[in-house]
Amino acid sequence: MTVDTTFANDRLLNEPAPPQRAFNIRQIIIYAMLIICGIIVLVPFLWMISTSLKTPDQLFTGEVNFIPDPAVPQNYITVWERLNSIKPGMTFLRIIGNTLFITVLAMFGEIFSASIVAYGFSRFQWKGRDLLFAIMLATIMIPGIVTRVPGFLIWRELGLLNTYDPLTWPALFAWGPLYVFLMRQFFLSIPRELEEAATIDGANVIQIYWYIMLPLIRPVMLAIAVLSFQGNWNNFQGPILYLSTPEFFPLALAMRFFDQSLSLEAPQWQYMMAMATMMAAPILVLYFLAQKQFLEGISIGAVKG
Amino acid sequence: MTDPGALNTYLPTLIRYLLVMIGIGVIMVVVYRVQRALGVKQEAATGRTLVVPWIIGFVIFTVFTIGASFYLSFTEYNLFSAPEWVGLENYQDLFDVSAGTLESREQRSTDVLERRHQEIVRVEVGGGGFVFGAREHAFWRSMRLTLLYSFISVPLGLFGALGVALLLNQKVRFLSFWRVLYYMPAILPAVATALLWRWMFSQNGIINSLTAPIWQGFGWEAPRWFTDPALALPAFIIISLWGIFGANSVILLAGLKGIPQELYEAAAIDGAGSWAKFRHVTIPMLSPALFYNLVTGTIGALQVFEIAAFIQTPAAVGTFLNWLIYQEAFNLRNMGMASAMAWIMLLIILALTALIFRSSSAWVFYQGAREEAA
Repeated sequence: MTVDTTFANDRLLNEPAPPQRAFNIRQIIIYAMLIICGIIVLVPFLWMISTSLKTPDQLFTGEVNFIPDPAVPQNYITVWERLNSIKPGMTFLRIIGNTLFITVLAMFGEIFSASIVAYGFSRFQWKGRDLLFAIMLATIMIPGIVTRVPGFLIWRELGLLNTYDPLTWPALFAWGPLYVFLMRQFFLSIPRELEEAATIDGANVIQIYWYIMLPLIRPVMLAIAVLSFQGNWNNFQGPILYLSTPEFFPLALAMRFFDQSLSLEAPQWQYMMAMATMMAAPILVLYFLAQKQFLEGISIGAVKG
Repeated sequence: MTDPGALNTYLPTLIRYLLVMIGIGVIMVVVYRVQRALGVKQEAATGRTLVVPWIIGFVIFTVFTIGASFYLSFTEYNLFSAPEWVGLENYQDLFDVSAGTLESREQRSTDVLERRHQEIVRVEVGGGGFVFGAREHAFWRSMRLTLLYSFISVPLGLFGALGVALLLNQKVRFLSFWRVLYYMPAILPAVATALLWRWMFSQNGIINSLTAPIWQGFGWEAPRWFTDPALALPAFIIISLWGIFGANSVILLAGLKGIPQELYEAAAIDGAGSWAKFRHVTIPMLSPALFYNLVTGTIGALQVFEIAAFIQTPAAVGTFLNWLIYQEAFNLRNMGMASAMAWIMLLIILALTALIFRSSSAWVFYQGAREEAA
């Protein structure tokens, strides 16, 4: 893990260690509490991985055993064979492909449109700008369920139900107000002289955006990219509404499909947890690699109020 | 529908994706030209043109859908025949509630409520009590579950997070390690979280194994978390706390680190102890972050979906509103009734948010605001 390097420039880490009355009671209590919280956070993760490696007879013993004996990593292959036997065509590659297809298109649309819209909301003066921006932020409060029924009817009219369209290209219309907000905060911090100089040199808006702004906003784009990848990879509410053919399902829906088709017999938790681990793994890897971007993205709202 | 193969399902969407992109570009050029022709200055015209993609999406996917949803809430619509105007009937059905007085604890609530009404809330007073019921009991039970869940889990999660954030702010070693660790649950896909906790809370699950000394000590049977009406809510709250307290504490920690050290030094010179510093420096300076978490946390908690989709609860408990409305619309195909329910939910969210915003002037401290006033 690259845990310690990324935040090396943290103010607190660089400060001299607290005065050397080293482990006094106060510090012991602090670390004990941090460790207890850490265990509470970790146990479900460990249990998920542990279960995914167990044989069925190890599941319902009533004992807490984190080390599977024997360990069966084959569960990760068998689960896809099982899924494929319930519904031929639901192969590992197909389901991962579906998930990636949706995720990448939606992510690209979100980043691209958010950067353009935020550019318009931050670097230009025009009447009505602040009012429109306030309206955009207010839409965060609208629960998705209100727009879901009419949204479904629109896609039905267009004949695009059970396609990936509702999940991908609407992202080009900057459907995530939060990303526009994050991007705008970043744009506002760029000095105005840069554009003025470029304008004097004869650059037009597209050139300024492409050659000056894009390189500068790369850090916040990366932050939005990881948040957006996570959001779309994990998305369940969209796909469950629009997709009905099992072969088209992304991972989240495939898991539900597997769960529902097994609910007649005893739930086979080793397979379910293998699937959950597989779905979580890319996101967790991305998180460990890009923790700085993740934590920046989620913290900005708190700092800027 | 038969499966046309991977490529044939991706390609049409990809083509339409590119066409929409080109379409947006063309519209933007037209909007810009029209503005310039009307004599708008270049800067204003450019700014407006750049936000056009959002305006199009806003009009189609927000304004239009909200209007349509409002209209549908006054209709009966099952997708197969045209929507039929029924006026306030959906809302009247939803608010068809009744109350009754119970003479004794043993008396059944159906005896005192109107016909076809079922109990939602019972208030026990002495030997008897009051009971409230409704015809659309599934809706009101879900409302009860969702509201209780939000009102308990959000403040609890915020206080817990504040505690952890304060711990992390005590110059601990390996700060980034703790931060990465505590944020992990928020990364886990909601679908995986729901399944994992259903497994952990199952009859022979790890939770019952770990707590066996407690319930066996009392001589009880193993708790059935999601079938016992009394235990479902606590189980959901535990899941929610695990999912959010770490993420909240990371956000609050960012707020804590933004507090200038000079403020604490000035307070120390004025003779403030640690409690006074916490009460008069930390809390006011942190209040914008607390406020932000409270608003987003409440809006999020009211809209829980995945947990309800994967964890079944007994009818007496109800399910989460978001999932109930989804079922009403897409399984029962009562689009009109579902829209009415969604509108009630929207109004509740707006009212709660307004309440938090109104109260915020009393307890949220914005540094900039104070300076401007001076």
